[in-house]
Amino acid sequence: MTTSAIRAHHLTKRYGRLLALDGLDLTVHAGEVFGFLGPNGAGKSTTIRLLLGLARPTAGHARIFDVDAGDVAAAHRLLAYVPADVALWPQLTGAELLDLLAATGPGVDTGYRADLVARFDLDLSRPARTYSTGNRQKVALVAAFATRAPLLVLDEPTSGLDPLMELQFRRAVTEARDNGQTVFLSSHQLAEVEAVCDRVAILRAGRLVDVATVPDLRRLHRSEVVARFTGPAPDLAAVPGVDLLDRADGTLRFSLVGPPGPALRALAAADVTALTVREPSLEEIFLDYYGQTDR
Amino acid sequence: MSAAAPTAPGRAVTRLAARQVRRPALVVAAVTVGMSALVVATYARTVGDPAAAQALAALAGNPAVRTLFGEPVALDTAGGFAVWRTGTVLAVLLTTWGALATTRLTRGEEEAGRWDLLLAGRLTPAALLGRHLAVLTLAMASTGLLLAGALTTFGTPRDGALLHATGLALAGLTAVAAAACAAQIFPTRAGATGATLAFLGVGLLARMIGDGVSALAWLRWLPPYGPLALSRPYDDDRWAPLLAFAVTAAALAGVALVLAGRRDVRAGLLRPPTGRAPRRWLLGSVGAFAVRRAVCPLAGWSTGIGAYFLLIGLLAESLTGFLTDNPRFADLAAQAGFAGLGTVEGYIATLFALLAVPVGAFATARLAAFAAAENAGRLTLLHAGPVSRTWLLTAEVVATVAGTAVLVAVAAVATWAGTTTVGAGLPLTAALAGAVNVLPVALLGAAAATLSVGLAPRAVATIGMLPTAGGFILKVISDSVHAPAWVGSLSPYAHLAAVPATAPNWAAAGVMVTGAVAVMSAGNWAYVRRDLRL
Repeated sequence: MTTSAIRAHHLTKRYGRLLALDGLDLTVHAGEVFGFLGPNGAGKSTTIRLLLGLARPTAGHARIFDVDAGDVAAAHRLLAYVPADVALWPQLTGAELLDLLAATGPGVDTGYRADLVARFDLDLSRPARTYSTGNRQKVALVAAFATRAPLLVLDEPTSGLDPLMELQFRRAVTEARDNGQTVFLSSHQLAEVEAVCDRVAILRAGRLVDVATVPDLRRLHRSEVVARFTGPAPDLAAVPGVDLLDRADGTLRFSLVGPPGPALRALAAADVTALTVREPSLEEIFLDYYGQTDR
Repeated sequence: MSAAAPTAPGRAVTRLAARQVRRPALVVAAVTVGMSALVVATYARTVGDPAAAQALAALAGNPAVRTLFGEPVALDTAGGFAVWRTGTVLAVLLTTWGALATTRLTRGEEEAGRWDLLLAGRLTPAALLGRHLAVLTLAMASTGLLLAGALTTFGTPRDGALLHATGLALAGLTAVAAAACAAQIFPTRAGATGATLAFLGVGLLARMIGDGVSALAWLRWLPPYGPLALSRPYDDDRWAPLLAFAVTAAALAGVALVLAGRRDVRAGLLRPPTGRAPRRWLLGSVGAFAVRRAVCPLAGWSTGIGAYFLLIGLLAESLTGFLTDNPRFADLAAQAGFAGLGTVEGYIATLFALLAVPVGAFATARLAAFAAAENAGRLTLLHAGPVSRTWLLTAEVVATVAGTAVLVAVAAVATWAGTTTVGAGLPLTAALAGAVNVLPVALLGAAAATLSVGLAPRAVATIGMLPTAGGFILKVISDSVHAPAWVGSLSPYAHLAAVPATAPNWAAAGVMVTGAVAVMSAGNWAYVRRDLRL
C-alpha cells in the first residue's frame, strides 16, 4: 500500500450561505507532484486553508501523512507552504526572514538554501518593504524548498516570477520529486502544471470534477484532426464524437472525443492524402471544462 | 460610447476618504461634546457656591496645578471650569486622533499600494492629499461647531464657547497638517506616526513648562497646545493666538501639498538605505520574535510615560504643599476623583491610577498590531510552521504583559527620580508598589484585547480600551453625576487602593488578575477555534 501525503474525506466548508467546498474526497500519494486546477472561486484556496488548519472544516476531515490537519504542531512538521499572496514583515531583510522561517519551520538544509538563493538571484540584504511581488514569492519559495519537508503545498507560487525564474522553480520541483518529496501545486499556469505534474485534480464550484494523469485527461478529451483529401468529402455527420470545425476545399478540420475508430472508418471511404491528429493542451482541456458551461 | 460621466474624480475620492473616517470621527465628536456638556451641566453641583469659586481663583497662583492641569481661567463660570477640566484632555484626544487618522489615511494607504490605483487615474498626488485633508478638516470643523453649539445650549456665553471650540478644532487641524507633512517625509506609516506623536509630545511639554514657569511663558506660543491656554476662553476671549494657530496649520498643510508633488509615489523624502547587514537577534523562535517586535514600540511608550512621570515627581512637593495649605481644593479634587492629593504618597497614588490607561493602551496596541498582521497575511508563514496557534498567541500575550511590567517599572523609577530631585522623600519601594498596584487594571485591558483577538479581531482597539479608558471614564462620570454605587463599582478603578498611601486591596487585585488570566484563556480558546482571516 502506498502511503498518502494528503487524504481529504468529504471535506466541506461553508461561509455563511456560501458553500465554498462541497464534500471533497481527494488522495495525494506520497512522492507525486499533484496539480490542483480550477477557475477563480472554485475552492482551491479554501481547500489549502483547510489542509493547513488555517480554517476549520464544516464537515469532513483531512489528514497529512496520517496526522489530523487540525493538529498543526504535528502536521506542520511534515510540510512547507508558499501562499498565493506572500506578505512579509516589511522591516526585516530577506536574510532575517529566512532565518526566522528556518527557526520556526520544520527544519532547514542551509547548504541547499544558499544554493537556492543563488539560483533564484535573491538579494537578501534588502528589507522586505522594498521587494516586488516576485521577490516576496522567491523568499517564500526558497524558505519552503530549503526545509526539504516531505510535503510542499504551493498555492500559485509562480504568478509573479519571470520565465527564467519559473524555469528555476520547475527545476526545484523536479529535485523535490527526485528527493521523494510530495508536491501539491495549485496553479493557473497550465503549461507549468503540464510540465511538472504527475496527476491533476480539477475543481469546479466547490466540487471535484476529475482526477487523472495528464495523458489520461488528454485521452478523455477532444483531439483536433485535420484531414486532406482529393475527391468527394468524407461524410462525418453521423459519426459520434465528431464536431466539425472548418471545411475548406480539400481540407476538413474537426474535433474528436472518444475512440477514433468510427471517424477513421468514415475517413477511409474518402481518398485521404494527409492526416494530422493533435492532442489537446491542458489549456484546451481546462477550457473544455469551464469554457462553455456555467461556472 | 457609453463611458460613465467622467466629471468628478475628485468627488469620488472625497467620498472614499469620508467613508474611511466617518465612524471614528463620530466617536471623537461624541466624546468631545459629551464630556464638555457633562462638566458644564454638573458645574453648579461641584463648585456652584461663591465661596468655592473665590477659593478656586487661588489655584491660578500654583505652578504645579498650572503645569498639570493648565492655567485655571474664569473658574467662577461654568464655561471656564469646563475649559480647565476638559480642555487639555480633549486637545490631546483630538490631536492624537487627527495625527493617527491622517497617517493611516495618507501614508498607510500609499504604503499598502492602494493609492497606486487612485493615482493611475486623473488625480495628482497633491490633489489626492488635498481631498483627504479637506475631509479631515471638515471632521474637525464639525466637531468644533457641535461643541460650540452644545456649550451655548447649556448656557455658557456664546463668544467663549466659540473661541474654545475653534481652538480645539484648530489644535486638531494643526496635528492633521503636521501628520500630513510627516507622511511626505517618512516612507512608512509607523515612521510618520512616530514623528507626529513626538511633535505632539514636545508641544505638550512646552505647554506644561510654559504654564508652570512664568519666565518661560513664551513657550506657550508653540503649537498645538500652548495657544489654547493663551486664548483664555470665557475670560479675555483672545483670538490672536488662534490666528497664529490657523497660520501654522495652513503653512504645514501647504508644505505637505508641495512636497506631495515633488516625490515619487510610495517613497518619502527620507530614503532609507536599500540594503543592510542582517540583525539576527531574537529571530530564533516565535516567542523571541514576539519580543523583537515589541522592543521598538516599548522604547517609544517608555520615553513618553517616563517623561510624564518624571514631571509628576518633580511637581510632587509643590502640589502637595499647596493642597495641604488649601484644604478646600483637596475636597474639590476628591469630588473630581482625585482624593488624597495632600500628601506625597496620596498624590503619587492618585496619579498612578492614570498610569493604567497608557499601559493598557500599550497592551491594546500590541494585540491590535497582532490582529492587523494576521489580516495582512504576515502571520500566515508562521502559522504554516509547526507552531500551535495557542502558543503563537500566548507568546504575543506574554511579550505584551512583560512590556506592561516594564512600563510600570519605568513610571515608578521616573517618579522616584523626580521626587528625589526635589527632595519630596518618596522611597523607591513606595513608588514601585504604587505603580505595580495598577498593573492588574492594565492586565484587564490586555485580557480584553486578547479576547477580542479570538472573538472580534476587527474590534481589538475598542474592546481592549474598555477596562482601562472606559473604566476610568465610567468612574469619573458616575462620581460627577452621583450615579448609584453599583454603576461606579463596575469600574476596576473603584477597587484600586491608594497605594502607597494605603495598603493594597489584595482581594481586588487577586480577583482582577484571576479574571484577566481567565479572560485571556477564553480569548486563546476562541482564537484556536476560529478561521484565520487572510
